[in-house]
Amino acid sequence: MRVKVISRSADEFTRERSNDLQRVSRNYDPNLRTQEKAVEYVRALNAAKLDKVFARPFIGAMDGHIDAISCMAKNPSHLKGVFSGSMDGDIRLWDIASRKTVCQYPGHQGAVRGLTVSTDGRILVSCGSDCTVRLWRVPLASGIESDDSSDSSDKSLASYVWKNAFLAVDHQWEGNLFATAGAQVDIWDHNRSQPVNSFKWGNDTVISVRFNPGEPNIFATSGSDRTIAVYDLRSSSPAIKVEMRTKTNSIAWNPMEPMNFTAANENCNCYSYDARNLKEAKCVHKDHVSAVMDIDYSPTGREFVTGSYDRTVRIFQYNGGHSREIYHTKRMQRVFCVKFSCDASYVISGSDDTNLRLWKAKASEQLGVILPRERKKHEYMEAVKNRYKHLPEVKRILRHRHLPKPIYKASALRRTMTDSEKRKEDRRRAHSAPGSMPKTSVRKNRIVQEIE
Amino acid sequence: MAETKRKTNRAPAKRNKKGKDNKWNKGPHLPNSLKKELDSLNPRDISDEEMQSDDDIDVYEYEEKVPDEELKKNRSIGLMDDEDVASDDEDGEDEGKKGASDEDDEDGDEDDGGDDDDDEKHARMLQDITGLPGDAFDGKKKKNNDVVFEAYPESEYNPSRDVLDGDGRITIDDLLNPLHGKSGFSKIRKDVQRIDKKSKSVLPPLPKPQQEKIDRKSTYVYSKKKLTEYEPLVKKNREAPTIFFDEDIDVGYSTVGAIASEFRPRTEFEKKMDLLINAKELSDAHKSDGARLLELNKVSAEDVKERQDRLAKMRSLLFRHELKSKRVKHIKSKTYRRLLKKDKSKAGSIDTEMDPEAAKELAEKQEFKRAEERMTLKHKNTSKWAKRIKKRGFDVQDDGTRAAISEQLQQHALLTRKRNSMHDGETSSDDSMDDDDEDISGDEDDASKLKLLEKGKKRTLEVLEEDDDVPKSGLLSLPFMVRGQKKKKEAADEEARLALEEFDSSLKQLEGDDDVKNKNIGSLGGRKVFGAQKKQVSQSKIKVNNKDNYFDNSDSEDDGDITEDVKDKHDRINTQKDVTIDTNILREESEVGHDPLFKVSFDDISKDSGPKIEYDVSLVHTNTSKKKRDNKKHSNRVESGKKAKVMKPEVVEPAAKVMKSKVAEPASNKDVDIEHGDDDSDTDGEIRMVDGVITSGTDYELPSQDDLIKRAFAGDEVEDDFEKAKQEVLNEEIPEPEKPVLLPGWGQWTRIQKKRGLPSWMLAEHERAKKKRDEELKKRPDSHLKHVIISQKLDKKAEKLQTKVLPYPFKSKEHFEQSNRMPLGPEFNPATTIGLLNRPEVVKKPGVSIKPIKLKK
Repeated sequence: MRVKVISRSADEFTRERSNDLQRVSRNYDPNLRTQEKAVEYVRALNAAKLDKVFARPFIGAMDGHIDAISCMAKNPSHLKGVFSGSMDGDIRLWDIASRKTVCQYPGHQGAVRGLTVSTDGRILVSCGSDCTVRLWRVPLASGIESDDSSDSSDKSLASYVWKNAFLAVDHQWEGNLFATAGAQVDIWDHNRSQPVNSFKWGNDTVISVRFNPGEPNIFATSGSDRTIAVYDLRSSSPAIKVEMRTKTNSIAWNPMEPMNFTAANENCNCYSYDARNLKEAKCVHKDHVSAVMDIDYSPTGREFVTGSYDRTVRIFQYNGGHSREIYHTKRMQRVFCVKFSCDASYVISGSDDTNLRLWKAKASEQLGVILPRERKKHEYMEAVKNRYKHLPEVKRILRHRHLPKPIYKASALRRTMTDSEKRKEDRRRAHSAPGSMPKTSVRKNRIVQEIE
Repeated sequence: MAETKRKTNRAPAKRNKKGKDNKWNKGPHLPNSLKKELDSLNPRDISDEEMQSDDDIDVYEYEEKVPDEELKKNRSIGLMDDEDVASDDEDGEDEGKKGASDEDDEDGDEDDGGDDDDDEKHARMLQDITGLPGDAFDGKKKKNNDVVFEAYPESEYNPSRDVLDGDGRITIDDLLNPLHGKSGFSKIRKDVQRIDKKSKSVLPPLPKPQQEKIDRKSTYVYSKKKLTEYEPLVKKNREAPTIFFDEDIDVGYSTVGAIASEFRPRTEFEKKMDLLINAKELSDAHKSDGARLLELNKVSAEDVKERQDRLAKMRSLLFRHELKSKRVKHIKSKTYRRLLKKDKSKAGSIDTEMDPEAAKELAEKQEFKRAEERMTLKHKNTSKWAKRIKKRGFDVQDDGTRAAISEQLQQHALLTRKRNSMHDGETSSDDSMDDDDEDISGDEDDASKLKLLEKGKKRTLEVLEEDDDVPKSGLLSLPFMVRGQKKKKEAADEEARLALEEFDSSLKQLEGDDDVKNKNIGSLGGRKVFGAQKKQVSQSKIKVNNKDNYFDNSDSEDDGDITEDVKDKHDRINTQKDVTIDTNILREESEVGHDPLFKVSFDDISKDSGPKIEYDVSLVHTNTSKKKRDNKKHSNRVESGKKAKVMKPEVVEPAAKVMKSKVAEPASNKDVDIEHGDDDSDTDGEIRMVDGVITSGTDYELPSQDDLIKRAFAGDEVEDDFEKAKQEVLNEEIPEPEKPVLLPGWGQWTRIQKKRGLPSWMLAEHERAKKKRDEELKKRPDSHLKHVIISQKLDKKAEKLQTKVLPYPFKSKEHFEQSNRMPLGPEFNPATTIGLLNRPEVVKKPGVSIKPIKLKK
């Protein structure tokens, strides 16, 4: 008589160590598991719920300034270092890991309006309403732990007084130049006491300036004349300008897509543009209920963070019309500046209440060392969630966010306003000659003109 | 010569004014008569005044009386000047026109001395090009032509005023002139002329805003081009299912060697070692053939000698010690051994006092000894010698032997006492154990156990007797609390009773064999415990059953009910056995027959009885519950007769199919019967038996096929059933409106109500509702289909597994479904593909900063 048995080689199924995993052999025949979809749906649901359970985005606040924080800069070469400048002229370097001030840079007489760090992380540039541009030496990463807030003389490299107050500054990626914005746009070199170049286009003040990290010779500014302008350093002349209906407070270039930038507008929305075609926005990001004050792209280029006057910080997908996440605390006031950390896993916001706040970029992410099995599990849960996110129950859970009452009400109000506007326009269109009132898309209708 | 110089000097002065004026330089050289002739030939609208002024100057010029030949020569040079100036001034001005004119001039100069013609042509051409009248070009001529006499003759020592003013510019011709006549002059001159000829015309500058606009445009085009270079890369990244940001990270050292190579000595010792290891001589020796290593290995003779001496000494010492120990080992003297042992123990005791390690060792040794004693009973007079002495009797023995035996016993006692004392120390919390029993024997043990058991028994009895009083007020006095308490108490009592029994049995056992040794008791105790456990198990079973009863009877039924149910059950059993007997009679009989028995049995249960009876109870219980269920079902069916059938119209009960007699019965009855058949096989059997009796009674004839079929489907009203079912479904989904009901006395006196009947609005409303329902029925997709029911009811559970609209990135339903087809989990996919399937869109490492995109070339 022959007996059929399952034969397995002992070598394959013997563990080398006692804490090794037992080898599991599976039959992947789909006929054996007919309930896979139901099973995965339930898993997705559970994952979505767990996401909510573990959503603890707030890590901590960094307290120390005595006035509202007006600007921030991250150190491109050192992950933990973040600089912040406040309205009283105080500049601080923070160690994010310990959430402590590492050192201070006293010197500015008025508000600090712009901060930026050179790509090598050696030089900090600050400018302010006291008409000065100051260059500071950044302590090395090794010595960053020691708190020496003693003399500023060894930290200050240079201080240049110029004709007008400055509103923003930004440093070129991997270059020696930086640009300041004020009455005009000035390009400075580290080693010169005067601007090497200056651009003036129109008579209005330039509010913000941002270099393109991918293409370091191109930068964009926004002005108080409601315009966004693109400049090219190679030809020492501006390139193009687009005028919108409302002012743009800040601009951020997508670091992974050098042609695209997103503008944080006064009308609660952000507009993503392709710099090559400014006739219409590529995407309109709506959700804030008050002016968007600052914007910063994640280094991955897949999302960006915005800080708004409505006291919230939101995270958007680079191509998403609505925010993926909203962060708020009871104590956080108007947010004036936001930054994404260089490893794309944290968000830092600086607000009117003199605090910097550190958030996780993904609210329910597990911090710390993650073992491979754990990571795989997380990835699986994420994938399942992503697959079933369209189903009503999962969607409901994933979308649900608790909003502060004022914001909830304001958004409801905005909705009614836009609805009524739309209704009115529809009626007008219905009562006017066909074709006399063409429909304009949302991506276009806030743009007044493109100026060459 | 001086004059010529002046001429040349004058030319730059004019030049300074404006490019256009230069063209009119030639004017003065025209003889008046000629000019007039020319004018008459091709009349222009140059004003006479202008001409006059020109003439004036000319006149003045003519006063100089410069020979024609010279003039020509000078003029050519002057013209050259002009051209140079033009080319100099090119940048930033309106170049096109001027350049053209200049070229014309040159041509004119080149070929001949027909200046006048040339001038005229030039003027005309200018006019043509610019479209301005000729006088526009003459505008500033007057001023330009002022000539100031120099106070001194011109020379390099007396520069002209123009030169002094700084207006005079040196032209190439100025530089060339001194070279006139020298070798190579003509060549240079030709070169210069060629260059002049080749020089392209440049457009005049646009107005600034326009110029800037053009600049911006070109800049924008340029930067657009630059940005477009990134497009393929960006597109690739966007389309990739995953982008990785954790590549090529320098994590640090990967090998031990790499780490070791980075080692720097820090402490003194490390430095010293490093100095020795990395000594230059050594490394050199290693690098060369290594012969020098031996030299470096040299040790001084004294050192070697010292070392040898030391080694020899150690060796001899070792040898001696070995010898000594060998000798000692061979000593057979017992006294010596004893003394040695004493010494050792003394040393040991000192040791134990000194360090805890030794104390621990000693304790272990003691423990071992005790265990040995217990095992072997060496000191319990079990040895041959002791037995013999016992046999002979103690009295016969001499003192020494007696002493030895007593010593031995004492030793044993000591060892066991030691254990006991240790034991006491461990269980000091146990108050029942007495420390004072010094005499240790099996009997004593028994006694203590007895005592213990007795105590336990007393306690349980106390528990049983106490707390029969129920609180009269408060939360605990509430009926359900009381009931609960009672239940609890019953359970506790049961347990106590059991424990009591156990105690009793163990007591009996203990009393039965009193003189059993320690060991036996131990084993007996084990057995006893086992028995008790068994009983407890059965007890718990009973308890569970009790509980079940309790819950079943929760609708205020007492335990007495169970007995009733039991009775019922017996009734039924009887009916099953013989059908012909009237059930009523039987009930009475069974009551008479079985009541006492069951009562007794139930009492037994409550009094804790054997497992057999318990089993009986459980059986009874399940049956009764079943019965109850039956009853309930029955009542339900009476209320909504057809409901059960509606669910599955096509399924026809087999029993109903076969039995004609059954079909004839009223519907409710039939249903009951069918239900019985389902529930209880016994009753079903009964029915069949009845049927069998009926069939066997008649004459049996083999029916034909048709007949059989007819008979088989005679009572089968499938269509009717289906219609009924459909109606049922319709009623459920679109319920019929309720009939208007008149509430007597509501809104009106009853007699008036009776007289008038239902109010009209009620009727109207009812009508409307009916109509609405009819319409809705008509709208249904199965309204015209006779044999089909299309349920319009939505499955709410399935709803949450579907999306209402197609999700955003998907273009079609098929696409979406396709994307969801393959499961993702590790149970459904092999490990090789799972990572690929579940990979997130962005893979990054926390703590690694991500650099912006870079164009790879």
